[in-house]
Amino acid sequence: MTHPRTLSGWKLLWRLVCYAPKLYLVDSVFWILIEGLFPAVPGLLIREFFNALTHSALFNLSSWTFIVLFLAAGVGHIIAIFLGRITKTQHRFTISSLVQRNFLACLLNRPGAQPFSGAGGSSHSASPGEIISYFRDDVAQIEDNVVGTNEVGSAGLFAIGSMALLLGVNAQITLFVFLPLLGIVVLLQQASRGLQQYRRASRQATQQVTGLIGELFSAVQAIQLAGTKTEVIHHFRQMSDRRRQLIVKDQLLTALLDASFSNTVSIGTGLILLFAALSSQSDGAAFKVGDFALFVYYLAFITSFLGYLGGFLVMSKQTEISFERTAKLLEIPAPRDASYLYSPLPLIASHPLYLPNLFGQPPELPPFGPPQRQPQDSLQVLRASNLTYCYPDSDRGIHNVSLTIERGSFVVITGPMGAGKTTLLRVLLGLLPLHSGALYWNNQRVDDPANFFVPPRSAYTPQVPQLFSGSLRENILLGLDEETVDWEKAITQAVFDPDLAMMPEGLETVLGTKGVRLSGGQQQRAAAARMFIRQPDLLVFDDLSSALDINTEQALWSRLMALREKKKSGEWSAEPETTSPPARYDWMPTCLIVSHRRFVLQQADHIIVLKNGRIETEGAFDERIFTELM
Amino acid sequence: MSLPLKQYGSLLGRYLQPQQIRVLGLGIALLSSLALQLLNPLLLGKFIDMAVAGGATQSLLVMAGLFTGITFVQEALHVGATYLSETVAWTATNTLRTDLVDHCLDLDLCFHQSHTPGELVERVDGDVTALSRFFSKFIIHILGNGLFLCGILIILFVENWRAGLLLTAFVIAALIILGRLHTDAIQPWAAYRQMSAEFFGFLGERLAGREDLRANGAVSYVMHQFHQLLQRWLPLYHKARLTSTVLWGTSVGLYTVGNGMALAIGAYLWSQQAITIGTVYLIFYYATLLYQPIEQIREELEDLQQAEASILRIQDLLQVRSPITSGGHHPLPAGALSVRFEHVGFSYEVSLVAGQSSLDQSDQMTKDQGLMTNDTKPWTLQNLSFHLSAGQTLGILGRTGSGKTTLMRLLLRFYEPQMGRICLSDVPIDQTPLTELRQRVGLVTQNVQLFQTTVRHNLTLFNPNINDAQLLQALSRLGLAEWLRSQPAGLDTPLGSDGIGLSAGEAQLLAFARIFLQQPSLVILDEASSRLDPATEALIEHAIDQLLTGCTGIIIAHRLKTVQRADQILILEHGHIVEYGDRHPLSSNPASRYSQLLKTDLIASKD
Repeated sequence: MTHPRTLSGWKLLWRLVCYAPKLYLVDSVFWILIEGLFPAVPGLLIREFFNALTHSALFNLSSWTFIVLFLAAGVGHIIAIFLGRITKTQHRFTISSLVQRNFLACLLNRPGAQPFSGAGGSSHSASPGEIISYFRDDVAQIEDNVVGTNEVGSAGLFAIGSMALLLGVNAQITLFVFLPLLGIVVLLQQASRGLQQYRRASRQATQQVTGLIGELFSAVQAIQLAGTKTEVIHHFRQMSDRRRQLIVKDQLLTALLDASFSNTVSIGTGLILLFAALSSQSDGAAFKVGDFALFVYYLAFITSFLGYLGGFLVMSKQTEISFERTAKLLEIPAPRDASYLYSPLPLIASHPLYLPNLFGQPPELPPFGPPQRQPQDSLQVLRASNLTYCYPDSDRGIHNVSLTIERGSFVVITGPMGAGKTTLLRVLLGLLPLHSGALYWNNQRVDDPANFFVPPRSAYTPQVPQLFSGSLRENILLGLDEETVDWEKAITQAVFDPDLAMMPEGLETVLGTKGVRLSGGQQQRAAAARMFIRQPDLLVFDDLSSALDINTEQALWSRLMALREKKKSGEWSAEPETTSPPARYDWMPTCLIVSHRRFVLQQADHIIVLKNGRIETEGAFDERIFTELM
Repeated sequence: MSLPLKQYGSLLGRYLQPQQIRVLGLGIALLSSLALQLLNPLLLGKFIDMAVAGGATQSLLVMAGLFTGITFVQEALHVGATYLSETVAWTATNTLRTDLVDHCLDLDLCFHQSHTPGELVERVDGDVTALSRFFSKFIIHILGNGLFLCGILIILFVENWRAGLLLTAFVIAALIILGRLHTDAIQPWAAYRQMSAEFFGFLGERLAGREDLRANGAVSYVMHQFHQLLQRWLPLYHKARLTSTVLWGTSVGLYTVGNGMALAIGAYLWSQQAITIGTVYLIFYYATLLYQPIEQIREELEDLQQAEASILRIQDLLQVRSPITSGGHHPLPAGALSVRFEHVGFSYEVSLVAGQSSLDQSDQMTKDQGLMTNDTKPWTLQNLSFHLSAGQTLGILGRTGSGKTTLMRLLLRFYEPQMGRICLSDVPIDQTPLTELRQRVGLVTQNVQLFQTTVRHNLTLFNPNINDAQLLQALSRLGLAEWLRSQPAGLDTPLGSDGIGLSAGEAQLLAFARIFLQQPSLVILDEASSRLDPATEALIEHAIDQLLTGCTGIIIAHRLKTVQRADQILILEHGHIVEYGDRHPLSSNPASRYSQLLKTDLIASKD
C-alpha cells in the first residue's frame, strides 16, 4: 500500500494552528507567562535571597523583600493560569470541533451507501460504532497535539533562557550536563518510530471493541432471543483481552522510553555534582550558595522540559497515525485495486464553526435548506448509459445497465434476489460511485450525481429506511421550512393519516432511537412522507411495500396513481388549493420503483427486469415474461 | 454529592481482589521507588559535604556510582510499576465493561429504545476508560505520596523542630483545602460527559442513516444540528474545565506559600543565628520537594473527579432494572406448545414510564416522559383473547400499527402485559424461566440484525455447541448452499457491518437459518417473507412447512398467501380483535372480513 505523503504531521499541525490565529496568539501570551516567565522568576529571586542572607545581594535589598517578591510572582502565576486556561479551553474546543466538523462533513459527502473502509484493509468495513472511536479518540489526539504546541514552545523558551543564565554561572558544568541530554532527544525520536505500530494496533483493537459494543446493542433483541448472551459476552471478553494486551504493550514501551530519558538526566545530575566537586577542589572557587540554589532550581525545570519535549515528540508521531487513519476512512477504494490514495487535507480545511466566543455569545447559525427549484431544470428525461458498479473484491454489482426515464412515467425495476436492483438505484442516485457509464439529466451530463440527485430534483426511500431520535415532525421535515411545506398532502400521499390520527401527540410523537417506536410499516410510510413532502421531480422507492399490509399498500399506490391521473387530465391545476407555495408548484412526479408486486408491475409504463446485475429483458407488462421470471 | 468512601471501597474490592498479587507487586514497586526518591537527596547532601570537606576522589566516585545505581533501580521499578498498573487497570476495567455489557443485554427493549447504541458505547467504554487510572493508581498514589510527605516532614523535624512544625501545619492545611475543592467539580464534569454521550449518540445515528440523509438533501440540516450541539457543549466544557483550573491555581498558590514559609522561617532562624546557611538551604530544598507529592495528590483528585462522575453514571446504569423478571421455575412441557391469551391489555406509554429508570435524572429523557405521561394512554392491545392448540398455526392479519408486532413482543416477554395473562401449554409465561421461554419460541422478524463477524458466528450467535454439519444442513435446507459456496472462506467468511455485501433477501434467509438451528416448539414469523422476491419466497415456503411440522406456528403477515397454511385467522384493528376463527369457515363466509380481504387481494394480484 503505497501513498504519496504530501504533507508531514508538522505541516498539518501548523495549518490547524493557523485556523484561529488570534486566539492562538492570545493563548500563547498567557502560556509564555504560565510555562515560561512565572516559573523562571522565582529561581532568580531565590538566588538573591540567599545572596542577601550572605550580604552580597543586588541593590542591597533585604532578604524579606525577596520573599515578598516571591509571593507576588506566585499571585501573578495564578492569575495567568486562570486566564490561560479559559483561552486554552476555547482553543481546544475550537480545534476538535473543526476536525470533527470536517470529518462529519466528509463522511456525509461520500456516496451514502459506500461502506467505510476501515483500518483493516479493503475488505474490512467500519461500523458506525467504530467510527465513533475516530471522532472521540483520534480527534482528542489531534487536539492535544495542536494546543500543546504553544505550551511546549513556552517551556522551551524558558529552558533556553535559563540555559543561557546557567552558562553565565558556570559554562563548563552547563555544557557537560546538557550536551548528553540533547543527544537523548535525538535518540528518543528514533526509538519512537517503533511506538507507532504499537499505537496503531492498540487503537485498532479499541475500535473493534467499541464497534462490537455498538453492534451488540443494535442487536439486543436477537441476542436475547437466541439466549446466547453468555457466548456473546465470552466473545466480548476475548476482544477486550486482546485490546488490553496491546494497550499494555503500547504503554510499557512509552514508559521505557520515558524511563531511559529521565535515567540519563539523573546520571547527568550525578556527573555534574562530581564535576563541580572536583573543579572546586582543584581551583578552590566553590559555588556561592545562591548560585547553587539557582542551578538546582533551573536544572529541575530544564529536565522536566526535556521530558515534556520528548513526550510531545512521541505524541506528534501518534497524531500522524491519527491523521493517517482518519484520512484512510474517508477514501473510496477504486475498483479491483488495492491501492488507496488518501489525504488528510479535508480534515483540516478552514470552515466557520459558529462557536460561542470567549464571553459566551453564540453567533447566529447560517440559514440552510434545499436549493431553490429551477423551473428550467425540472426533469424532462433522465438517461443512464452503461452504468457499472462492482462491490469490492467481488463480481457482484451491476454491469452496463442503460435506461431512459421520461417525465411523468412510472418505471419499475424487478428481478430475483441479489439481481442488483438496490445497487442500480444507489448508483443512479450517486449513493454508490459510478465505476463506468454516464448519467444525463435533460441530456446534460451529470458530473457529480451524489450532489445532483437531491430534492427538489429527486428524493429516495430505501428498503429499510432510517429514522432518528426526535419527533415525527423533525424526522419528516429534516430541516425543511415549516412554512413552505404541505403537511396534509404529504401525510395523505404516504397513507400515514390513519396512523397519525391514532397518535395522541400527533406530529410531536417522539420516535425513539432509530424510530423504533414505530412499526416497520409506519417507519416506511413516515419515510415516504419525508420524500413526498419534498415534492421532488423524481420519486425513487426501493420496495416501499415490503412491510405494508395489502390495503395500505394499495391505498398508497392508488393515491400516487391518482396524483398522476389528475395531472394528466389537467384537473390538478383547477383544484382549489391553499395558498402555500408548494401548492402553486405544478407537481408532476416521475417514479422509479423497485417492486415485485403484480399490480404495481401492471401499472408500470416500463418494466426493467434485472438478473445478475444485467438487464434481462424490459418493456411493458407481459404475463408470460412475468410468470417465467418469477 | 461526594460518593461515600464505602462505595470506593466496594468498587475497588470487587475488581481488584482477583488480582491481589499484581496489586501487591504494584504497591511494592511504587513504594520502593518513592523511598529511593527520598533517599537520593540525602545521598547528594552527603556527597556535597564530602566534596566541600575535600574527601578522597575514590570515595566520591563510589558515591556517584551508588547514586547512579539507585537511579537505575528507581527507573526499573517505575517501568515495572507502569506495566503492573496498566495490567491491573485494564483487567479490572475490562471486567467492569463486560459486567456492564452483560447487564445492558439483559435490559428490556424500553431501555434500548430510549438509549442509542452510540450513547451506550460512550457509557460502557468512555466512562469506564475514565476509571482506568482510578483502579491502577488512586490508592497507591495517595498512600505512596502520603508516606513520601511524612518522610520529608520527619527529616525537617530532625533538622529543626520549628521548621518541621510549621511545614507540617502547612501540609495538613494544603491537603484539607485540596480535598474540599475536588468535590465541587463532580457535577460540571458529569454534565459534560452526558453532553458528550448525547453528541456521540447523534453522530452514530446520523452516520447509520447517511444514505437517507444524502438522498433526501438533509446533509446541511445535519450540519446545522451539529453546530447547535457544539453551541450547547462549549459552555459546559468551560464550566467543567474551570473547576479543574481552580484546583490547579490553588495548588500553585499553596506551592508558593509553602516555599515562602520555608524561606521566611529560614531567614528568621538565620537572623536569630539558630541555624547555618546550609540548613536554610536544606529546609528550602525539602519544601520544594513537598510540591511533587502535593501535586500528584492533586492530580489524583482531579482524575478522581472524572472517575467519580463516571462511577455515578456507571452506577446509574447498573441500577436500571429490567421490569422483566427472569421468570419462575415451571418448565414448559416438551413438544409443540399451545398458546392462550386471556384478556391481554398493553400500552407502550404505561410500560415506558414504568420501565424508565432513574437514569440520567438531569437529561432530556424527562422531557420525553413528560410528553408521555400528560396524555391519556392509548392501549396498543386491549382485551385480547384467543387459544391456539399445540401443533396448529395461527395467521394474524391487520394494518400496520394494529398491534401485531406488539403481540409477538408480549409473547416473548420483551414487555409485560399490564392486563390479562399469556399461557404456553397452560403455563403462564412469567412462571417459566425466561431463557427457556426464548429457547423454545423461535422468531423471525422483518429486521435482521447481523454482526461484523464470520458467517458462522452470525448464524450461531457465538454459540460453540452448534457444529458445522448442523450449519451446513440448515443452509442447504434454505437453498443457501450455493450462496455459501460463493463465499471465499465458506463459514469463516467475514460479513460486513450491517450485512454489507448481503442482499436483503439473503439476510432474511440467514435469519431463517438461525431459527432452524434453534429447533423451537413455537415459531413466530413476523412478516418474515416480506422482503423476498417471489422466487426466493417460493423457496422458503417449503422450508416454512418443514419448520412448522411438529411445531405450533404464529404467522404475522401482510400477504394473504402467507397465511394460506393457517388453521386459524385473527384480524387485529387498533389493538382489538375484529375477527377470529378457523380459516375455512371464514373464507367461505362472504360476510367475513377475511373473505373480503381475499377478494381485494384477488383483484389486486389476479392470483
